[in-house]
This record gives sequence, C-alpha cells and structure tokens, in this order.
Amino acid sequence: MSGPIVEARGLTRIFPMPAGPVTALRDVSLRVDPGDYIAIEGPSGCGKSTLLHLLGCVDGPTSGRLWFDGKDVAALSDSQRSRIRLNGIGFVFQRFFLLPMLTAWENVELPQGEAGASRAERRHRTAELLEYVGLADRAHHRPSQLSGGEMQRVAIARALANRPRLLLADEPTGELDEETSAQIGELLSRANADGNALIVVTHDPSLAARARRRLSMRGGSITGTTT
Amino acid sequence: MTPLALAWRGIVRQPARAALAVLGVATVSALLFDMLMLSQGLFISFGHLLEETGFDVRVTATKALPMLGPRVRGAEKASRELSSLPEVASVLPMRIEWASMATNDDEELDVIFIGVQSAPEQPWTILEGDGLMDRVGDAQPPVLLNAYLAEVLDADPGDTLSLRGRCDGAGNALPTTEFRVAGVADFPYDSSGTPRVAVTLQAFRHTCGLDAEDAVDVLLVTSAPGAGPDGAVAAIRAARPDLHPLTNRQIMNRVQQTEFSYFRQIAFVLASITLFFAFLLIATLLAVSVNQRFGEIAALRALGFTRWRIVANLFCESALLVGAGGLLALPAGGLLALWLDGILRQMPGIPTHLHFFVFEPRALLLYLGLLALTGLLAALYPIHLAIRLPIAATLRNEVVS
Repeated sequence: MSGPIVEARGLTRIFPMPAGPVTALRDVSLRVDPGDYIAIEGPSGCGKSTLLHLLGCVDGPTSGRLWFDGKDVAALSDSQRSRIRLNGIGFVFQRFFLLPMLTAWENVELPQGEAGASRAERRHRTAELLEYVGLADRAHHRPSQLSGGEMQRVAIARALANRPRLLLADEPTGELDEETSAQIGELLSRANADGNALIVVTHDPSLAARARRRLSMRGGSITGTTT
Repeated sequence: MTPLALAWRGIVRQPARAALAVLGVATVSALLFDMLMLSQGLFISFGHLLEETGFDVRVTATKALPMLGPRVRGAEKASRELSSLPEVASVLPMRIEWASMATNDDEELDVIFIGVQSAPEQPWTILEGDGLMDRVGDAQPPVLLNAYLAEVLDADPGDTLSLRGRCDGAGNALPTTEFRVAGVADFPYDSSGTPRVAVTLQAFRHTCGLDAEDAVDVLLVTSAPGAGPDGAVAAIRAARPDLHPLTNRQIMNRVQQTEFSYFRQIAFVLASITLFFAFLLIATLLAVSVNQRFGEIAALRALGFTRWRIVANLFCESALLVGAGGLLALPAGGLLALWLDGILRQMPGIPTHLHFFVFEPRALLLYLGLLALTGLLAALYPIHLAIRLPIAATLRNEVVS
C-alpha cells in the first residue's frame, strides 16, 4: 500500500468530567506515511497520549475523522478495530504491560497466536524478535525476572510480532534510566529503519531527537513541527 | 495461547490466592452437594427400605398409610382372595402391637411385637439361627429377635422367653406366653436401641388374646412376574374395591409430600443460600482479579485482543476456579455427609437402614449443573467490567497511578 498509513483530519477529543467537559485534543490533523518517525512532545496534559490513542484506534474522537490504511475508522466495528490493532499497529507502553505469568517468549508469541499464525511461524518469528532485541538468552524468563530495560525490549518485540505498519510508543523510556533509555531509543530507531512507521510520545529530548519529524503540542493542539 | 491456558497461567501465577479461592469454592460447593443429597436422601433411602422387604405392594383398609389407619378386617379371606389373583405372587398379612417382657435384671421391657403369617417370604433377613417357618411345628411357638434385643437379653437361638401382649392398649391383664428363640433377624425398620420381636400370626393373636379377631394392619403383597406392582394394584382394586393397595412408589410419593417435606424444604432453603454464597464468593474473587488487572486487560485490548477473547479468558478463569473447587468438594462433601448422616441417624426412632444423605447420579448432575450455572452467572459482572473497560482511559489511569 503506497498511501498514508494514518490520516487524521480535525481530530477533537472532549472528555466529559463532573466539573465540566475537558477538551484534550483540539482540531488536530496529521498524516503518517510509511517509514515516518514522528516524535510528539509537550508538557503533561497537552494531549500527546490522547492523540496517540486516537491514532492507535483505542479511542474515538469527539469530532474529526481518521483513516487507517484508507479505511474510515469510525465506520468500523469494535472487532474490526481490534483486527487493525492486532495486525496493523504495535503498541509500546510506558509501563510495559507484559503479562506477568508468561515468559518473555510467550509474551512475544501471544499476539501472533491471536492473529492466527501457525506454531512454526510463531516459533520462528519469536526467536527472530528476541534475537532482534538482544534477549534470546532471556527468552524463558518472566517479567519479574527482567530489568526495566529488558521488559521494554520484550514489549517492543511483542509490538513488532505481527509485523505492524505503524508502531506507537507512549513514553517508552519514561520508567528507565538514561543509559537504558538510550538503548531503547536505539532499538526503536532500528525498528523504524527496518520499515516500521513510528510515532513516539516522549518527554525525553534525546529520544525525540532521533525522530525525523517532531511535533510540539500545547493545550490540545499541535503548535509546531520540526523536520 | 488458548484462553484456557492463559487463564490457567493467571491462576497459578498467584498460588496462595488461587488455593484460598479454590478452598472457598470447595467449601460452599461441598455444602451445596450435601444439601442436594439431603433433599432427596430420605426419599431414596426410604424407597430402598421398602424394596428391601421384598414386597412391592401394601394393602390397607383405608387411604391411610400402613399402621396409621384402621385395620383390614377379614384378613384371612382377603389374603386368600388376593393370593388367587394371577397378578399376585404372594400375600403376607402383618400386624404390629406392643408387648412387654422381663429382662435378665427383672426389669420390664417394652418391645415392638410383630405377627406375620408363616410363609416362605418374610420381610426380614435372618442373621443367626432359623426363620419362623423352620420352627413352626415346635412345642413352643418360635420368636425372632432383633440384634439389639438379643444383645440386651444375651439370648441365643433355642433359648426361651416370655412375652406379655399389650395389644390395643390392654394393660397387664393378659397372661404371658412362652416362646422359643428361633433366630436373630435384621428387621428393615429397626431403629437403634429399639427392641423388636416377630412371631407367627397365630401366636401373635394368642399372646394378644385376640384368637377370634381376624384383623391385620397391612397385607404385604409381591406382584407376579410380568404383572408388576401397578398391574397387581389394578387387579386388587378390581377384586376388592374396599381395600386400598399402594405400590412402593405411591407410598414414597405420599411420604415425600408429608413426612419428608420438611427435610426437602430445609434442604432447598439451605441449598439456595449456599448457592447464593457460592455466587458471591466467585463473583468477588473474579471482580477483584479483574480490578487488579485493568491495565493488563486494557493493554491486551490495545494489542488487538477482542472483547470476546477477554470474555473467554474470564470464563475460563471462572471455570477453572469453580471446576477445581467443585471437584474438590465431592470427596469433602461426601465425608461431611457421612458425618452429618451419622449424627442425624442417632435421633430416636430412625430406622438404622434409613439415611438422610444419599448419593445418586441425579444429585451429582444437578450439583454440577448448578455449580456451572453459578460460575457462569458470577462471571457476568467481572466480564461486564472487563468488556466495558475504556482502553485509553485505563491506560492513562494506570500510568498516572
């Protein structure tokens, strides 16, 4: 597919709150093409994560429209959006959210099984990804037996498991020290260089500096773009 | 990874909590299993008791149950007429009264006094010695004792004993009659600590001073092979419309609606309460488990897991908890039932062969069905929580918290 992976037009997200509605995102438009590396920066509460969640199809806009691979996301059913997230989007979270009862191997294998990959395909892909993130020797360790950096590397491997076109990372270095953050930054850059479009929400200037396009947000709007 | 495998991993991840949860489910499930066994236990056990006697039809003078209504007058004629029916294999007239006798310590002992016509089929099992039929030609009339009385009197077959009939409320006016102990028998309706004797109907009438009275409490009937109890009842009704024959099943149903209805109602109420507790327990366990894993669930949803996959995971988790607890409850409930049955059967007047808790496949199936339904219903609220979970808001909250 040669068109944009994601195209957002006039996205607005208003959260109803007891004290009155809060506009978290205000008329944001964005286009993400294959191979893009976008960093979204801004102070806390400026709407970065809200935008990421809308682009990742885990939330819906109050107004505006979003297309993923040319499909109008608002017109899709919940299960169709799940299918897009499963096959087209990889999520990396600040808190990793690895399943604690599963090993690193099983965490990476899990979304592949859900996508219907065969046992042989899963085995091959999981080994390949753990090798890719440098954790082949920790494949059978549980999250509680891994460091924060290792957990995030497993989470990145899991996000890449179904070969998504778009990788979304929400503060991926938010819980890591500087050195480990640099390693994660390196890994994300490599994933982008290998063809995954990448959007990173971050407070980390060194991570943002790796992006080819940097969006600054404030008060729910994109206030600046640096390329 | 299948939902079941994932649920299993989720449970074993916290073995202490899982063990406590399974124990909790097992405890309430054991109580439920016991209440289901109790709800039909007396009914089934009473049915076995009736069948044990070897007679499948009981004929009385009125609609009242045997021993609770007027006697059948003209018993010999009735017995002959019924015996002649092709649907009837045998008829055994029986009368029950009280008698008294002296113990070895010269204390007077009241005994249940049974008179039956001497016939090959008798409603008891000989444990020691001979039956009444075998000794009917002896100089002294034969008597059968139950094991309790034989122990109290230290009596053996061949010993003699004296009985004074206390029939129809007669006091001590009747003379004593000497009997020779033919044997020791296991009477189906024996209760612990209740002395019981059986003699021939002729000796019974003599002891009671009722030589001229031809009345019995009940005619025990065995239906002819092929006719069955229903066929025998129909034939008896046609031949003697003045008599009231009842099959064992009809007696059981009558007793179920009257005497045993208290136990059924108590068992129903307790089973309902137990089910409610099981529901609360499972719902709470699952709700707490889901609440603790909101982040995990939201992340799985963000990774592309559908709502139904999350529902399947939770159902499997519920099934594993309920299944493990429910299976563990079977031996636990069985042991508890044995213990409770032992306590209840010590009540005075309860036949030793009668049980309050009886295992039957139907109770097991009902137990499994109710438990599965409870597990299913209890999982609904946690599942509702999980599938209504707003993914983005939950992920945001997890980070903020």
